[in-house]
Amino acid sequence: MIDKIFFNFTRFSALLILVIVAWIFVVLFNQSIEAMNTFGLDFITKDEWAPNLDKFGAYAAIFGSVASTFLAMLLAIPVAIGVAIFLSEIAHDKIKGFFGVSVELLAAIPSVIYGMWGLFYFVPILRDIFGGMGIGLLAAGIVLAIMILPFMAAVTRDAMNTTPDILKESAYALGGTQWDVIKDVIIPYAKAGIIGSLILALGRAIGETMAVTFVMGNVHHVPGSILDPTTSIPVTLANEFTEADSSLYFSSLFGLALTLLIMSFVVIAIAKFYFLRKARRA
Amino acid sequence: MTAVQKRILINRIALVFSTLSAIIALGFLFWILGILVMKGMSALNWNIFIYEGAPPGYEDSGLKHALTGQLILVGLATSVGVPLGILAGTYLSEYGKNSKLAHAIRDISDIMMSAPSIVIGAFVYAIIVMPMGHFSAWAGAIALAIIMIPIILRTTDDMLQLVPGTLREAAFALGAPKYKVILSVVYRGAKAGILTGVLLGIARVAGETAPLLFTSFNDNFFTTDLNAAMPSLTVTMFNYATSPYEDWQQLGWAAAFILSMFILGLNVLGRLILLAGKGK
Amino acid sequence: MASIIDIKEECALQVRDFEFTYKGATSPSLKKVSMPIAKHSITALIGPSGCGKTTLLRAFNRMHDLYPGNTYAGEIEFEGRNILTPKEDLIHLRTKIGMIFQKPTAFPMSIFDNVAYGMRLQGIKNKTELNDRVEKALKDAAIWKEVSDRLKHDANGLSGGQQQRLCIARAIAVEPDVLLFDEPTSALDPISTQGIEKLVIELKERVSIIIVTHNMQQAARVSDYTGFMYLGELIELGQTEELFVTPKEKLTQEYITGKFG
Ligand SMILES: Nc1ncnc2c1ncn2[C@@H]1O[C@H](COP(=O)(O)OP(=O)(O)O)[C@@H](O)[C@H]1O
Ligand SMILES: [Mg+2]
Repeated sequence: MIDKIFFNFTRFSALLILVIVAWIFVVLFNQSIEAMNTFGLDFITKDEWAPNLDKFGAYAAIFGSVASTFLAMLLAIPVAIGVAIFLSEIAHDKIKGFFGVSVELLAAIPSVIYGMWGLFYFVPILRDIFGGMGIGLLAAGIVLAIMILPFMAAVTRDAMNTTPDILKESAYALGGTQWDVIKDVIIPYAKAGIIGSLILALGRAIGETMAVTFVMGNVHHVPGSILDPTTSIPVTLANEFTEADSSLYFSSLFGLALTLLIMSFVVIAIAKFYFLRKARRA
Repeated sequence: MTAVQKRILINRIALVFSTLSAIIALGFLFWILGILVMKGMSALNWNIFIYEGAPPGYEDSGLKHALTGQLILVGLATSVGVPLGILAGTYLSEYGKNSKLAHAIRDISDIMMSAPSIVIGAFVYAIIVMPMGHFSAWAGAIALAIIMIPIILRTTDDMLQLVPGTLREAAFALGAPKYKVILSVVYRGAKAGILTGVLLGIARVAGETAPLLFTSFNDNFFTTDLNAAMPSLTVTMFNYATSPYEDWQQLGWAAAFILSMFILGLNVLGRLILLAGKGK
Repeated sequence: MASIIDIKEECALQVRDFEFTYKGATSPSLKKVSMPIAKHSITALIGPSGCGKTTLLRAFNRMHDLYPGNTYAGEIEFEGRNILTPKEDLIHLRTKIGMIFQKPTAFPMSIFDNVAYGMRLQGIKNKTELNDRVEKALKDAAIWKEVSDRLKHDANGLSGGQQQRLCIARAIAVEPDVLLFDEPTSALDPISTQGIEKLVIELKERVSIIIVTHNMQQAARVSDYTGFMYLGELIELGQTEELFVTPKEKLTQEYITGKFG
């Protein structure tokens, strides 16, 4: 009797996850129907976002999301791999412990703080170097890169650490140097795990709001250069959701949310179910 | 230069580059941490805990409203998210095991763990704020709970699976019903791990800003009304930091510092509990 | 005290008063070990688990140096010099003293690239030379027939026994003088084990071999000399037949008759 009740409680809770996820998709879809009916494909291919004219094209925001994430990955990946190599192969035990834990704790710092730092300390530097406002795609890419770095380095290190010791030792036993072992054994062995980790970090970066919302500019324009202000999907949502004043405006914002959810779902699913699963099987 | 000498040289260069990138990365991160600590500490004083928000320029302004709001929001989210997460994790580990359904739930939940939190905010806005017609603490707490459930679910599932099967069998052999075995044997065996998962889950949602922006929204004054907009440290930080007023920006840094210390504290505590549990 | 046979033939290695302590350990894992390793013969190391066989074996190619904090003292003489000095060129040493591990350790690359790996590290790029030497190593490791038609395939597709022979081919391809085997058959089935044992015996024509094994029969089957270790000490080193038939030490006697271990 109690057994049955307890079982049903647990099963209900577990099924709730599926229900919530399905519900999120259904709600976002329903809410965006108006925008989809009004604009059709133009919603994602046009970049005119003019609330006063009830015109909403999300291309600039989508472009900004993709471009800022791409820039962040470009900057963060080499550094993260370097940090992961340092943490797994170079640092001595004590340093390894200290830096390893530091990196993990830094990954826990709320992203809004990276955004504040970006706005107050980093944007002025960019302004000094490049002139202009400092706010824009480049600032967003760099702040995003720094924010994602600890997570990326930590998961990449974990992937590298799955390489069995005796495999590494076998390469040393043939006269390999540390770098030979890293490039010929560790990276090829942990390849799927490393790629999966990097893509997972990408999935997080693309949905990140607070680190970039201060420094991107929220201008619905495909930027002419990486120094120009622009916007991304999360930045648009953060800035405009409470300002929306027409149902079409709301619907368009929900359309953005749905687009973002689908993009990140696809990216995360590729990371988890293709690469990371392959890595675990190996 | 022989091939081996060349290899040794390349090795040196590569190792120097990795070490440099580690130094650069950690340099940036400690720079940010240093600013957080310095700005935060210098803005910290007792008034922060005594006074609520005030217009810019007022002496007697503080973060009491945001601190209590934060505690209420996270507390509510925890009281919803933790039981649901633990029960769901229990289902996966104790009943669902390797069934297709259990795997599907694990997969979906895993994806949810990395899904953009601002989208959760939009969802809660549509299902709670729009029908109610106004922002509310409830809406914010539910958004946080939705983010929390997958984290708790995952750790509970993992930690329960670590409890040896023989322990369960021994309890079954004594004639205990399954729920009793789970409650008194399995949960006890996984206590440290589940607790760590809960702490990390709380730490994770405590730092969330995006899902609160249009659910619990913000308020510059002290309130405990769960049916009204409620301030939080994160949203307050966001608003104050983007304001042009120096004293508000100061308060923003103070909020950032307090929140970060809270989150780092939870993370460290979680690790210590896990270590202590392993030591046994 | 220990009874160490005096080897008349030429020696590949000479261990003198070797002591080894792992990082953080309170007592040494090896205490004053002295032993000769005869050239072109097989020396087996036996003894109960944890007695220090692997620790001693890994000293010969300075594997321990990969993990900082371990301390050692004493001497190991190889080619007329003490290889335990800080100025020893480890890359060169390890190409002269190869190693085979407890489990097969095929690299995540093709069969050909696995065998060519050590040669490429030495800077050999010439295609024909690589092809010839890979073929010869695979033939010497008695695996050529099985893999000659799929050299470009991933080495991880091979069976455990095949992978272990591939690892042997990889090790002998760089033409070392000494080969170290650490329980090379512990992860293999009896048939593969037989194959590896036969191969080890064939190899002693060209290299000096030290093999750690937990299996006394294996030591008796393949080795010329056997050393019995116990609690970090070398208790007895003798010709294999003598050691198993007429051990000089009581501990050896007890161990080979199965009184403990
Ligand atoms: N990496 C290590 N760190 C500390 N102690 C070790 C390590 N490896 C082995 N030992 C200890 O050294 C002793 C000898 O181990 P080992 O050489 O592996 O024995 P065997 O190969 O004969 O089984 C054992 O007491 C073992 O616990
Ligand atoms: Mg051993």
